[in-house]
Amino acid sequence: MSVTSGSVTAASETHRVGRIQSFAGRRRFEGWLMVAPAIVVFLALGIFPLIYSLVISFQRRDLMRANTNEWVGFANYSKALRDDRVWNALQNTIGLTVFGIAIEFVLGLGLALILVDELRGKRFIIPILMLPVMMVPVIVALIWRMLWDNQYGAINQILSWIAGHDVNIVWLLTDKNRSLVAILVTQVWQWMPFMFLIMLAGLAGISPDLYEAAALDGASWWHTFRDITLPGLANVIAVAILFRAMDAFKIFDLIFMMTKGQPGTSTETVSWYIYDRGRQALEMGYAAALSFLFLIFVTIVATIYISRFLRGHEA
Amino acid sequence: MDQSRDRKYDERLYQFVESRVKRMMAASIDRRSFLKKSAAATAVGIGAASVRASLTPSAVSAARKVLQQSGDSAEAAVAAARKLREEGQVEKLTIISEAGLQAEDLKVFSGPLWKELTGIELEVIEKPFDEIFPTMVQEHLAGTGAIDILQVVPAWLADCVTQGIVEPLNPYIEQYMNPADLDDIHPTYRDLMNYGGQIYGLFDDGDTLIGYYRSDLFEDPVHQDAFRQQHGKELGPPATWEDYDLIQTYFTEALAPEIYGGASQRNPIQSNHWFSQEFRVRGGKFFDPETMQATLDSEAGVATLTRMLESNKSMPPGVEQWGFVEVLTAWLQGQLAMVGCTWPPYARFSEEYGKDTKQMEWVPPSTISGNVKYFVMPGGWSQQASGFMLNVSADSKAKEAAYLFSQWANSPTISLERVLLPYSLRDPFRISHYESQEYRSKWPNAGLYLDTLRASADNCLLDLIMPAAHDFEVAMDQMFGAAQGGMPVEEALAQGNQAFNDLVERGGRDAMKAAYAEFIKLKGAYPA
Repeated sequence: MSVTSGSVTAASETHRVGRIQSFAGRRRFEGWLMVAPAIVVFLALGIFPLIYSLVISFQRRDLMRANTNEWVGFANYSKALRDDRVWNALQNTIGLTVFGIAIEFVLGLGLALILVDELRGKRFIIPILMLPVMMVPVIVALIWRMLWDNQYGAINQILSWIAGHDVNIVWLLTDKNRSLVAILVTQVWQWMPFMFLIMLAGLAGISPDLYEAAALDGASWWHTFRDITLPGLANVIAVAILFRAMDAFKIFDLIFMMTKGQPGTSTETVSWYIYDRGRQALEMGYAAALSFLFLIFVTIVATIYISRFLRGHEA
Repeated sequence: MDQSRDRKYDERLYQFVESRVKRMMAASIDRRSFLKKSAAATAVGIGAASVRASLTPSAVSAARKVLQQSGDSAEAAVAAARKLREEGQVEKLTIISEAGLQAEDLKVFSGPLWKELTGIELEVIEKPFDEIFPTMVQEHLAGTGAIDILQVVPAWLADCVTQGIVEPLNPYIEQYMNPADLDDIHPTYRDLMNYGGQIYGLFDDGDTLIGYYRSDLFEDPVHQDAFRQQHGKELGPPATWEDYDLIQTYFTEALAPEIYGGASQRNPIQSNHWFSQEFRVRGGKFFDPETMQATLDSEAGVATLTRMLESNKSMPPGVEQWGFVEVLTAWLQGQLAMVGCTWPPYARFSEEYGKDTKQMEWVPPSTISGNVKYFVMPGGWSQQASGFMLNVSADSKAKEAAYLFSQWANSPTISLERVLLPYSLRDPFRISHYESQEYRSKWPNAGLYLDTLRASADNCLLDLIMPAAHDFEVAMDQMFGAAQGGMPVEEALAQGNQAFNDLVERGGRDAMKAAYAEFIKLKGAYPA
C-alpha cells in the first residue's frame, strides 16, 4: 500500500511538476507572443533605421547621383570634421543650449521659490505659466517671428517705450548675434516653465522641518537657500538640466521657422545642418555620418554629466 | 469636313515632329555626332513606339474623334479620360503642389471640374516650395508611385530627367494634343518644357519678374520737375538698376517715412533671382565653361552685390526681412513708389481683382488701385523666376490619365480660366493669354500688364538649368544673406564660388560641364 501509495505520490508529483512546467512554458510562450508585436515594431522602427543609417554613413549615398552606393570608409566622417559649417553649427548649438538652460534654470528656480509658498491666485498662475510648454514649437516660432518684426513687432515697440525714442532693430536675418539672441529668448520663453515646474515639484519635496530648524537657528535666507534648498534640489536640478539639454541640443523648429540658418549659414544648428544636407541636398551618406558624430558627441557629454553629477549625488 | 480637319491635323502633327527632329539634328553634323543623334532619335522613336503601344486604343480613338471635330485639346483629354474611367483603369489621380494659393486652384476649381467631367478624382498633396523637389526625388527612389502628376520648376528639369523622375510626353502629345496648342505657348516657356530634344512637361505657370510703379507719383509734375532738376533726367520707369536707385532714393528722400522710393524682396530666401538677373545683365557668367570654375566673384558679381546692398539703404528699414507678403503689404498700403520687381500676381492684388473671394481675405485692401503701371526689369532683361510645369511621374501607375489631366489643365481654354482665377498664383504663359480680350478687360491697365509680361517673357534670363539647380539657388541665397548679414562682399562671393565649385565636384566635373554647355546654348541663358 505504502509502495503503491508512494509510487502514486511520485507519479502525481511528476505529473504535477510536468503540468507546472508545461504551464510555465505556455505562459512564457504566451508572454513572448504578447510582446512580439512590440519587439517587431521596435526592431523595425528603432533598430533597423539605426543600423541602416550607420551603414550608409560609410557610403557616398547621394540621392542626386545614380549609383552612389560605393563604400567610402570614413570619408564622410573626415569630411564632417573638416567642414566649417559643422563647427559653426556645433558652436551655435552649444551656445543656445548652455545659455538657454542657464537662463531657464535661474528664472524657473526663481519663480518656483516665489510660488512654492501659499500665494493668492497660485491656482491660476501655474497653468497660465505652463501654456508655452504645451504649444507646438512651430507656432511659438511663428508668434515670436512676428514679435521680433522690426516694423510691427511688439519687442521694438516695448524697447521704444523704454528708450523714449523710436527703436528700429532688425532682429532676424541681418546679424548673426541678434538672430541668435532672438532665438535664445524665444527658446527660453517656451521652456522656462518646464524648468519651473520641475523645480516646484522638487521644492515641495524638501521637508519643512529643515526650514523650521534653520529658522530656529537664525539662518539667513541666503544660508537657508545655500545649505537646505540647493542641496535638497540637487538631484532634481541635475535631472532637469539633463532632460532639457538633451532636448535643446536638437533645436530645429525655431531655426526652421525663424532664420533657416540665415544670414548666410551663420545661425545653423547641428540638427538644422543635418536636415539641410539630408533632406534638402539629399546627401544621405554625409547626413548619416553627421548624425552619428552628433550622437557620439551627445553620448560623451551625457556620460560625463551623469557620472559627474547624478552618480556623484547618489554616492 | 471631318476629313479635311483630319488632314490638317496630320499636317500639323507632321510639321511638329519635323521641327523637333530638325532641332535635334540642328547642331554639328560630323559623323560621330550624326551617329549619336541618330541613335538618340532611334531611342526616342523606340520609346515613343513603346508608349504608343501602351496607350489605350479606345481612349486614343475618342480623343482623335474630338480633335477632328473641334481641335480642342481640353475636350479631347476629357473624352479620353472618360474612356479610361469607364474601363476601370483609373479612379483617382494625385498631384503634388506648392501649398497655399497655388494649390487652391487644384482643390477648388480644376480638381472638382475634372472630376465632374471625367469622374476621376484629383487628390492634392500640398508641400511648401522647398519641400517639393526633395519629396519628388525621395518618392521616386522609394518607387511608391504615390504621385501621378508632378509640378516641376523648369530649373529642376535636368535633375528630374537625368534621374528618370519624369515621363517623356512626346508620344502622348502626338496622340492626344492639337499641335497648334504647343505653338500657342510662349517660346520661352515652350523651350523650357524640353530637355535633350524631348518634351517632359506642359507649362502651367509663367513666372517672370516685372517692376511696378505708382503712376500718380511718377506722373505728378512736381516730382517730374524736381527729379529733372536733381538728376537731369526724365522721371519714368527705370531702364537700368542705377536709374532704379536714383528714382528710389529720390522718392525716399522726398516722401519717407510715409512713402519710400521702393522695395524688393530682400529676405535671402529666393534672393537668387534678383542676383542672378543683375549679375548676368552686368556681363557676369556663372562658370568658366572650359574649367567649370565658378566665376561669381567677377567684377559683375562685386558690382551686383554691392549695388543690391547699397539699394537697401533707400528701402524701408527692415527690408532685409521682407519677403513676398511684406513687400506686397507695404505696396498695397501705398508706402512704396515702386516695387523693384517681383512676381506677376501683384498686379491683380493691386487692382483688387477678385477681392471678394474667400481665398483673398488675407490680402490687405489696396490704396493704389488705378494708379499702377508696370515695367520690364532694369537692364532690359527680365528674370524667369521659378514657374511650374505639369509633368507626369515616371512611377505613376496611371500615366495616361495623368497626362490627360495635364493636357486638359494646360489647354488654351482651361488654362485661360485658371490664370484668371483671382486666388490662384498662376500667371499667363500662352500667347492667347497675353492677347485675351477677357483678361485685358479685367482692369484699365490690364492690357499694359499683359504686354509687359509678354515683353518680359520675350527677353527673359532663365534660372540656371542644370543638375543640382536647386542647390545652386540655395548657394546664391546664402551668399546674398551672408553679405546682407555683414560679411564683406568679396568674402561672400568667394563663399558662393566655393559652394558652386563643391556642387560641380559633387555632380562630377565632366557631367556638369556638359550640362552647362547645354544651358548656355539656350536663349536666355545670358543676354544676347
